[in-house]
Parts: sequence; C-alpha cells; structure tokens
Amino acid sequence: MAESLLSARGVSVRFGGLVAVNGVDLDLSAGELVGIIGPNGAGKTTFFHTLSGVLKPTEGRLVVAGDDLTGRAPHVYAAHGVARTFQTPRVFRDMGAGDNVRFALEFAGRLRKHKHDAFDDVETILGFLGLAEAAAVPAGALTPARQRLLEIGVALGARPRVLLLDEVAAGLTQTELDATAQLIRKVRDELGVAVIWIEHAVRVLMNTVERVVVLHQGAKIADGDPRVVAKLPAVIEAYLGDEAAAVSVAA
Amino acid sequence: MNGRGKRRVPLALAITLGCGALLATLPWVLSDFLLALALSCLMYAALAVSWSMFCGPTHYLSLATSAFFGLGAYVTAWGLESMPYGLAVLGGGLLGAAFAALIGLAVLHLRGAYFAVITFGLTELTLHSITYVEKTTFETAGRIISDAPETPVIYWTVLALTLLAVATAIVVRASRLGFALAGIGGDEERAQTLGVNTRRVKVIAFALSAFFPGALGAAMAVRWTYIEPMSVFNPFIGFQTVLIAMVGGAHTLLGPILSSVFFSLLTEFLRLRFPYAFLIVLGLLLVVLVLYLPGGLASLFLRRARTHG
Repeated sequence: MAESLLSARGVSVRFGGLVAVNGVDLDLSAGELVGIIGPNGAGKTTFFHTLSGVLKPTEGRLVVAGDDLTGRAPHVYAAHGVARTFQTPRVFRDMGAGDNVRFALEFAGRLRKHKHDAFDDVETILGFLGLAEAAAVPAGALTPARQRLLEIGVALGARPRVLLLDEVAAGLTQTELDATAQLIRKVRDELGVAVIWIEHAVRVLMNTVERVVVLHQGAKIADGDPRVVAKLPAVIEAYLGDEAAAVSVAA
Repeated sequence: MNGRGKRRVPLALAITLGCGALLATLPWVLSDFLLALALSCLMYAALAVSWSMFCGPTHYLSLATSAFFGLGAYVTAWGLESMPYGLAVLGGGLLGAAFAALIGLAVLHLRGAYFAVITFGLTELTLHSITYVEKTTFETAGRIISDAPETPVIYWTVLALTLLAVATAIVVRASRLGFALAGIGGDEERAQTLGVNTRRVKVIAFALSAFFPGALGAAMAVRWTYIEPMSVFNPFIGFQTVLIAMVGGAHTLLGPILSSVFFSLLTEFLRLRFPYAFLIVLGLLLVVLVLYLPGGLASLFLRRARTHG
C-alpha cells in the first residue's frame, strides 16, 4: 500500500437514502492498466467522481501519491496528477481544439514536471490522437467521436500520473472501439501513465486491461486478472442477460 | 486565444494610448456642455469595460456596480477635506476592490439569477448601511463637497481611469487569468479538474474589475455638490452598465466601448428631445436590441469580418 499511486479506502457515497458507492477499496500502482466494469447503476461513474475530487465521499479516504486528499477540491487532485474524462465530453465548446489542450497544459500541466518530455505541447498531443488538423476548429463543432478523443487529449495535457477514462468508447463502431483500446494501451506503454478505464464494451476491455474491478450495486464484488474474474459466479450473476454472454466469451 | 492574442497586446495598448492622447485635448476644444457629455461617455465606457472584464468571459451577471461606485463616492465625501483628489480616487478604487473580494468570497459560488439577485441585494444593503452610519454616527443625511476640482481635472482623471480599464482588459484577456476565466465560463467544473483554483481566480478577477467602479465613484462624486446615499448608490448606474456591456457584446473589448458612446449620446438626445418619454423610448429600444441582436452590437461587426475574411 505504501507504493500505491492512488488509494481509495472504504469509499462510500450516499445520496439521501440511496447508496451509490458502498465501501469500495482500490489501490492503483504506477503504470497499471485497470478496467472497471459493472451493470448500469453500479456506481462506476460516481466512484470516478470521488477519485477526481468532483464529489466528496460520504465516508472513506482518498490518498494520492502519499497525500491524503479526502474532501479537497478537484484542482488539488489535478495538481497531484489525477486527470479524467467525462462520460459526456465536457470540452470547452467555444474554444478551438488546440486551445482546449493548451488549457490543460497551462494549468494542471504546468503544475507538474513529467517524465515524457516529448509530450508537452498541443501539436504533439493532437497529432497523437489524429486530431492535428482540427486544432483551430471550435471543439463544439467536432463530431461526438472526435470530441471524445479530444477529451482524452485534454486529460493528457494535464500531464497525469493517473488517467481516469469514463466510457471514452461509448457509441463507437467495433473498428473505432479496437482503435481506442489500442490508443489506451499506447498511452500507458509510451507515457507510463496509470489508467483506470470504465467501459460497457466488456469484451474489448477485458482483452486490454491487466486487472479488472467489478462493481455491483455500489460494492466491489471482484478485483483481479480478467480471465479469473470472468469465471466468478458472482460476476456472471451480476451480468445476467446479454452481457453475461460477453463475459463468458472473453473468458 | 493565448498564442495569437499575446502578439496583439502591444499594438492594442499603443492604439489605446494614441486614442487617449487625442481625447486628452478635448477640454481645450469642447464647450462645457459637450465636455460633460464626453465625461459621461468615458465613465460608462470604463464601467462597461471593467464589468465585462469579469462578467464577459464567466457569464456572471453582477448588479453590484452601484455598490462599488457608491462606496468610492463616499471615500471622496468623507476624505476630500483631508486628502488630495487623486488619493481619494485611488482609495475609492481600493475600497471597491476590497469590498468585491469580501462579497466575492461569500457569494461567487452562486450562479445565474441567484448571483444577480444577491449582488443587487448587497447593493441595497450597502446603501442602507451607509445611510444608517451617517444618521447615527455623524447625524447627517448627506454631505456637501466643497472645493471640488475643475471640470478638466475631473475629465482627465476619468480619462486616465478609462485608459487604465481598457489597458487592464487587454492584458487580462491575453493572460493566464483571462484564459482561466474563459474556462470557468465554458465549464467551471471541467476547469477545476484541469487544475484551476476557480474560487481564487474568480475572487481576484471580481476584485480587479471592481477597482474601476470604485475609483470612478470617487472621481465623479465631485460632480455632485451634495452627496447622499440615494444618489450615489443609484441602481440605475449598475443597470445602465450591464445594459451597455450586454448590448455592445460583453465578450468583446470594443463592443462595450462603442455601445457606451452610443448609449450616452442616445440618452442625452432623447432626454433633450423627449424629456418625458425618453425612458420609455430607451426601454423599447433595449427590448428590440435584445430580441434581434442577442450577441450584442459587436456581433454585427464580427459577422461582417467573418463573411469578408
């Protein structure tokens, strides 16, 4: 636990009587690639909100790189190297795509030194995502798929140690989905960034990550090697229906 | 915004200074009546530009301009006997900025109509607090300004403040502060997750923008010979500022300047021509402008530039 980059301890979120996240523990080491899956309403996104400071947990502690950040504002998480995307892309619609990335570099990015020096300008980041020619286009005018890519670019501009990706592949075709999975691996491999990836496309996710966490009704019901997790009865039960088949195939 | 914007800063500042030099000659050229009109144009230009500095990029609607203006006026009312005019103006600006920082810490987390209503409420609260202090502590309802400076001195002071407001707006727009404000206006929570301490940025920018109404209140107070809270905390000054900025286009720099000239002249013309109906005409005109030109007068020029470029 001492060496973990990001550590959530007993994190719970309650909205009135509803328990959205229920005592979740998670440890992430540097450079790890972890997936989070779970049926709709399992609390995945709410959990992400707590990991990025957007939502204060009702209970539990959050430690990033040795500092207890429980209850701190999102910009403190960003300064500690936690960057995230949102399920619905939240780019600055009136700014150009290039300025969106520049914004992240100028604030969260500037606060932190990083190892991958080749990766600290707008052109490189947009080029990496295949958005080079869109630099001057207002982000709001990009297609939804490209806005999702730009959302990743903005998060990379923050020079993260931990990258939280919330359904960045939602609504993509199978080909685009595979490309996105490759891109995520590349981010981890080439930049050494630890990644937590939430996605409904279970099969692609299971084939990409080294470790998967399963949330069900706000609680963690599995955490480990995707091949092992996919065979757990509790996981298959949580995924009754179409998605159960997908899990079995991945196994 | 940042890369291209920065290169234009020296040019924009040079143009501002050039216009300022030209405008500085007006006291020798214009009649008293026209000079008073020019003074009113300048005052509203400075108020609208400083209002747009914060409210333009962030889309906040502040109605607190009258509070800062009134506080500044009272610095002059209380202090002009014991300090030079210039110092009173500076003091008015600093008091405006300090008061804005204080209320900013308390209410800048509110947005939309809530923020507008609470800033209006705070203006009323300030008005009545000053009235109360004057009545109970000093046993007076108003104050007479003796030995006010000459009109040209007032004009040059207000001109200097206007130039400073425009220069500040130019620099802020091209700076990290301006970039952060644009991000806050786009999506405040997203800006936070990208490392912006939005609370601090907003308080700093709100205080900076409130320096100018405070200083202008102190500078213009000497135009009234008799100062009472109801006249210097007049909410009309705040409304007029917001309308000028919005009609001109608060997201632009030139829009509020042009629209303040337009409005000051129009108000004066209507007042002379239709002394009883001028507010009705002004109101109707505003309705038409808001309905058919929601992006402000600046959108006319931007549209033209786009079709030509």
